[in-house]
Amino acid sequence: MSAPDDELPDPEDPAVRDALIEAAAGAWRARTPHGAVRAHPAWHDLDAEGRVDAHDRAVTSRALEAALDPEGLSSTARAVLARIRNASR
Amino acid sequence: MTVDHDQHLAAIVAGDADAFGRWVAGVEPGLRGVLRPFAAVVDTEAVLQETLLRVWQAAPRHTSDGRPHGLFRLASRIARNLAIDEARRSRGVSLDDKVLALQRDLPDAPERGAPDPHLRRALAECHGQLTGRPAEAFAARVAAEGAEPDATLAERLGMRLNTFLQNVTRARKLLVECLARRHVDLTLELR
Repeated sequence: MSAPDDELPDPEDPAVRDALIEAAAGAWRARTPHGAVRAHPAWHDLDAEGRVDAHDRAVTSRALEAALDPEGLSSTARAVLARIRNASR
Repeated sequence: MTVDHDQHLAAIVAGDADAFGRWVAGVEPGLRGVLRPFAAVVDTEAVLQETLLRVWQAAPRHTSDGRPHGLFRLASRIARNLAIDEARRSRGVSLDDKVLALQRDLPDAPERGAPDPHLRRALAECHGQLTGRPAEAFAARVAAEGAEPDATLAERLGMRLNTFLQNVTRARKLLVECLARRHVDLTLELR
């Protein structure tokens, strides 16, 4: 992860690895200057197995979020809708 | 059998973002399934968000082939092609033939739709029992709606970043365990 390097220094450490997976499983993503969605910085620090774990953790998290949301929307859906509403088609 | 999410297509074409949200709510799990074979080589969350933005842009030009779930099939193709392009562009990855073969046959329809009412009821009860720092971290992630990085949320809550992330993990684990006690197996719900 770029910003919290001082806090997450060693991807081999199981606790650090788990934090990287959790970070990559979140819905926040930065954008390129052209507006494209970028990979999460933590995702780059994970090995293949960790990346698949992040995907699976995101599946569970989004299902929980959608089931708690009155409109059935996950944080991914809300992030995308916010971008759509802030831009013209 | 899921409902045909193309019921929202006319409103989406007319520029109704709420209708697009209802479509996304129905197809998001299915699109994540399309992307799973690529999870080791691309950030599937980023690819999914980019896919949804492109579907919104492409929807007015979409022509129905008369079969249900046409917009989902378009989204599946966009997701797969973005994932292949991203894997090749950023990592020079030669994708496994098995992955490409698997992706040649995209699903005709999303296998799962929006959360079922039983899951919603059970989860609402479990969520109400979530307390302390895990509850705070989970709530912060949900409230942020993907618009703020975890470091910002952690700082707002007065937590170190990795403490915040541990609390998010703990909250999800507690919710899944609570659902299991209510005879809701989330892993089965997600298949």
